[in-house]
Amino acid sequence: MSRSLLLQNCRVYDPLHHIDGEIMDIPIRDGKIVDSVPESASRIDLSGLTVMAGGVDIHTHILGSKLNTARAMCPEDHRADPVAATKKTRSGVGFTLPSSFVTGYRYSTMGYTTVTEPAVPPVKALDCWEELHDLTNVDIAMLPMLGNNMITFDFVQQEDLPGLAAYVSWILHSTGGLGVKVVNPGGTYAWAHGKNVRELDTEIPDWRITPRMILTSLCQAVEMLGLPHPLHFHPNNLGKVGNVETTIAQLESLKHIRGHNGRKHIVHLAHISFDALGMVEGGRPEWKDVHSGGLQLAEYANANDHFTVDLGQITFGPATTMTGDGPFQFSLYELTHSKWANMTVDVELPGGAGIVPYTYDPKSPTNAVQWAVSMEYALNIRDIWRCALSTDHPNAGPFTKYPLVLSWLMSKRQRDRWLTEMHPSVGQRSTVAESDREWSLYEVAIATRAAPAVILGLQATKGHLGVGADADIAVYDLRPDDIQRDPDRIVRAFSSAHLTVLGGRVVVKRGEVASTPHGRVWSSSPQVEESLHRRVVGEVRERFSRWYAHSFDNYAVPVRYRAAFETPMATPSVAES
Amino acid sequence: MPVVNVPCPFCGCLCDDIELMVHDGRIKSNRNGCAISKTKFLRHADDRLVGPSLRHSSGHELVSLATAVDHAARILSASKRPLVYGLSSTENDAHREAYRIAELVRGVVDNTSSVCHGPSILGTQDAGEPIGSLGEVRLRADLVVYWGSNPQVSHPRHLNRYTRPIGEFASKRTIWVVDVRRTVSAEAADAFYQIQPGHDLEVMSVLRALLRGHKLDCTEVGGLSIGQLQQMAESMRAAEYGVLFYGLGLTQSWGRHHNVDAAIRLVQELNEYAKWSMVPMRGHFNVAGANRTLTWTTGYPFAVDFSRGYPRYQPGEYTAVDLLQRGEVDALLNVAADPLASLPAAAVRHLRRIPVINLDPKRNLTSLIAEVNIPTAMAGIECDGVAVRMDGLPLYLRKVVEPPAGVLPDREVLRMIYDRMVSMR
Ligand code: SF4
Ligand SMILES: [Zn+2]
Repeated sequence: MSRSLLLQNCRVYDPLHHIDGEIMDIPIRDGKIVDSVPESASRIDLSGLTVMAGGVDIHTHILGSKLNTARAMCPEDHRADPVAATKKTRSGVGFTLPSSFVTGYRYSTMGYTTVTEPAVPPVKALDCWEELHDLTNVDIAMLPMLGNNMITFDFVQQEDLPGLAAYVSWILHSTGGLGVKVVNPGGTYAWAHGKNVRELDTEIPDWRITPRMILTSLCQAVEMLGLPHPLHFHPNNLGKVGNVETTIAQLESLKHIRGHNGRKHIVHLAHISFDALGMVEGGRPEWKDVHSGGLQLAEYANANDHFTVDLGQITFGPATTMTGDGPFQFSLYELTHSKWANMTVDVELPGGAGIVPYTYDPKSPTNAVQWAVSMEYALNIRDIWRCALSTDHPNAGPFTKYPLVLSWLMSKRQRDRWLTEMHPSVGQRSTVAESDREWSLYEVAIATRAAPAVILGLQATKGHLGVGADADIAVYDLRPDDIQRDPDRIVRAFSSAHLTVLGGRVVVKRGEVASTPHGRVWSSSPQVEESLHRRVVGEVRERFSRWYAHSFDNYAVPVRYRAAFETPMATPSVAES
Repeated sequence: MPVVNVPCPFCGCLCDDIELMVHDGRIKSNRNGCAISKTKFLRHADDRLVGPSLRHSSGHELVSLATAVDHAARILSASKRPLVYGLSSTENDAHREAYRIAELVRGVVDNTSSVCHGPSILGTQDAGEPIGSLGEVRLRADLVVYWGSNPQVSHPRHLNRYTRPIGEFASKRTIWVVDVRRTVSAEAADAFYQIQPGHDLEVMSVLRALLRGHKLDCTEVGGLSIGQLQQMAESMRAAEYGVLFYGLGLTQSWGRHHNVDAAIRLVQELNEYAKWSMVPMRGHFNVAGANRTLTWTTGYPFAVDFSRGYPRYQPGEYTAVDLLQRGEVDALLNVAADPLASLPAAAVRHLRRIPVINLDPKRNLTSLIAEVNIPTAMAGIECDGVAVRMDGLPLYLRKVVEPPAGVLPDREVLRMIYDRMVSMR
């Protein structure tokens, strides 16, 4: 028996099909959007409401060991936001570090249906798989981190690109990942020596390789494998004043790499509010001399189309910073003298990830400028398709602030209102105040669903409302005419979806969770040629016995934890050389 | 054919190189395991609870599983303030089921970490924590310090497996033991520093002061001369990669979480000079997992109260010992722990007055007084699951033999109790 549903009189924003506010019906059957449904299908009339594909988040820390360490370390955070159980939902906590159940519910309530955890230490992927059993209402993708992994280093040092590609494929297969994340390539490794590496061509300790070699090799390996998602990149020199220069240099170093099947974008630059810090003329790389580098990065992006970004928008108020960038986190700790956790992950993240709670204050001259970085980018980039919304949850603020971020992007009035409350440095050191641009609903639909779906390589079934798409749908109580005049309405509407549908099932009604089905987990591990695979697994096994303190046989995430949810994507197989 | 690379479900080392010979559904030998591990595997069939039972005035009467489950569900449903306790010697999925029950009955959940490394967690909540990994210790450490821990007894393979073999990224290694008495581990170390009981906090603080270059106007602190302390501080500063393993000698001695706080601050400050990490010597094989599962479910690692329908956290108030000593709970669901043997007398006195539902593979002191006993499969031998090593590494536990006939994993029994309670509503 097929379950059919007809959403009627929707005002549709579906940029992948160039649909900009047309009134239409959306027929749904068996979890998919279809051509038509029988007369007997149940109907929901959505007259006057805005309808988009379900939201897709490309970068949000919602799973895994460092998140749990942060949760355990910050009871004061949870105390601010207890969440009671209901007949349909489990209890938990919210605020900047929502518990697993609450994470799913809150995304769902905002109309999001797919989320990506971008920083999985492969050896602890089992952690993530266990947790996601308790994270319902959304589809999930995970990106293992490989940019400081000694086995990666070994292949890079030997210039064994096919070997590296086969290793990447083996990691994705073992962990159920979708793509590859690189965090401060070589720099986090150097942190095992109490150091950092900030420049592309500085050799890293213990090895004869540089960040440039790690970065370009991994990018090439990803393209060789034809992974759906290009390399997901957190650059060197993060959080350093003036780092927009080094970030651009790193993007330049990848420009020559040919995309798989002719695709243009070969790298995704994460959370630019931390990567595009400018410096005042004649200044020094110190916080007092910070300037927004968002415009400079936008201009570079307008002239070079090999990369995409997500914003990592600072939202003001409490946040919890957590990255696989150990030395950056330590420098933040030295700045704040707040709590600091560091977590070494042996072979894969020597030096380790870090966690530091942080509060962004609009009155702080540096925080205000940092807020402007990604704003300035978003208001000056020509091609919104290369710009995904994120707060790098919970680094620049929790994902529950997305509606606020959208109100800033959609309403000059809202920006002006906030700018008057901010430190005046933001006016002197960025151009945000001068920009009149206001994102339309169509552009919002690009940056919050269509673009991230394309960048993740999920566009066959995600990010749009065409026939064949997964029936992941968000309905907002929002009319195009009253948006700019009433920014609070934008915040309200995007905070609380009128309806969210996941895989054809209604999961949210009028802002309340109505059901809690489990989403799928999207993975991708292209097969490499058999002999190459055998060689590489043999080499990995040998390094394993030298470098790890547990057994090779206990590395891969067992099927028992994956079978119910994992959905491997069809990808081409790849031959040697 | 041996079953290889089996994780040992006994202590926080979770050594996963155990080789078992299994014949006719029985474990015949254990290679690589320490003496404790051999006992755990080879004698897993000893002292078992024979079947589900209910206690009457004359003793325990064997009943069907359904009857025991029904009785357990009735006790929990009738209870005003039930406590769910234990969990550190079972696998993670059992925890998840236990939390569902606690939430349903609006009870309290606490795991055994509240009586071992709870203070470590409190210290972390004050200061954070630079956490090491055992793999990296083996590979890189040049200075390893055991503080208030006697691994040769409590974690017999810790030294031989993780800290003695020097990996290729360290050229030398020194192992210290800091403790209040000369233990067998002290004998096995390169250096031993004996401090007076109850003086850990002072010694840590002085080390920090010396690291910062302060001059102290005393000759001795906590049993160590200033000269010795100066030397320690200098070696710690000169290390390239240092690791502090700390045990109950630090967390359960005078000062408790203040000691851990001081240790964390010390290690954090050492990071100004060199790379330093620390690792708590977690005892039960999955106490770290109990903290982790509760954290992703509720935000808090132990001592969680659901009485208001949402999780609240308050060590000292919602911790098992405190609840029991105050006589506050009126039923106990105990999973994979032996509170009667391990909790203080005042807590045990109250335990004897309230109905106890006990899930465990084996007979123990708690099973003697429990109103309902339900035998369960032994996690990591008779059922699979995940446990978390002391350094946070999750490992997949194996089912190597079948449990005794009719005996189910904790998670399944807990699910049955939950379903029964829901159907009774
Ligand atoms: S040290 Fe602990 S985990 Fe390792 S074999 Fe012995 S009891 Fe088992
Ligand atoms: Zn991030």
